Amino acid sequence: MGKLQGHGINAAAITYDSREVLSNFGEAYKIGYPLLSDAGSKVIREFGIFNTNVPADHKMMYGIPWPGDYLIGPDGVVRDKWFLPSYEHRASASAAVLRHFDGERGNSVRIEAGVVTATVALSTDRCFPGQELGLMLDVRLEAGWHVYGRPLPAQYQAIELRLESALIGEQSLDLPIAHPLLLKALGETLPVYAGEFRAHGKVGIKWSPPMPAKFLEPLGERIEPGRYQIAGTLRFQACSDDICETPQQVTFELPLTVEAGITPAPKKTA
Amino acid sequence: MFEPEREVTGEMDTERKATVLHGVIDKMRAGGTDIQTAEWVEFVEAQNDGYRTGPAAGAKVPEFALPDQTGRLRPLHDLMGPNGLLLVFSRSADW
Repeated sequence: MGKLQGHGINAAAITYDSREVLSNFGEAYKIGYPLLSDAGSKVIREFGIFNTNVPADHKMMYGIPWPGDYLIGPDGVVRDKWFLPSYEHRASASAAVLRHFDGERGNSVRIEAGVVTATVALSTDRCFPGQELGLMLDVRLEAGWHVYGRPLPAQYQAIELRLESALIGEQSLDLPIAHPLLLKALGETLPVYAGEFRAHGKVGIKWSPPMPAKFLEPLGERIEPGRYQIAGTLRFQACSDDICETPQQVTFELPLTVEAGITPAPKKTA
Repeated sequence: MFEPEREVTGEMDTERKATVLHGVIDKMRAGGTDIQTAEWVEFVEAQNDGYRTGPAAGAKVPEFALPDQTGRLRPLHDLMGPNGLLLVFSRSADW
């Protein structure tokens, strides 16, 4: 949240909870941003995200939204939003900063491999289970050199970034459009990148419910808090007017700390 | 209002959703030891079935004013930072 403030972005959270519940939660976790009480779920309904799957006689769940985050401009217009298809996964504020404000990053790693210099960065170096983090790839090529993009015949290697970790559920990387170029060494026109380019992506950290282990046994897998090294591979094939190199793959590691998930604040005794 | 509140056109039967959402929470309250994997998966599906995401990028959000944890009424313009606001909708701070 500090990263957001550095870019002039405030944060606020809305739940259907009473002000008393939010006050207790805010104190227990020293929350420094507004926790808004939408008791009765009026605003949740006005946003059109009232969870209509929950039956009205469900005392605990009736009134919840389909959870998600909006980045709203000073003009009140939605700049971006993050709603994930399963309620246990959440977007992270750091991903918004990285994507929209070229913000400071978490850990990054620099890769130098011949004519290719690349930087891979995660939006944060600390996260909670279930968060979706931002991923960024910056690539710089020596003058006169290209790397392949897609679509590409199977015998060539398009540039590709893959993180490999048991922590990660889903991941994606949106590369810019590659421009077709006639490659004289091959006598073929193929989509390529030249110069400098940047790609943004998403990395979903798997989730464990913040519940006692006995609840989790049926789920099998549990993401434990701790310090991890996320292994990754960058694959590419470089080509100049004269030479086409063989496909290369460079492995790297990015440190990431997973914090324990937040549970409800202990109930206050009167 | 962006979308009128309507029946979710998901894949799961309304009655089944109600049964699953009550059933799993009741089991959790009773200790949760007999929750099966398939039940848990269905519990998640029942919540997310046909989910909607509200105003699209480029659309204006509704004006609102809600009390914060200190009891102060906070209209949208008061929450807004110089460059924007990250507004997070969560289920509950209580469970």
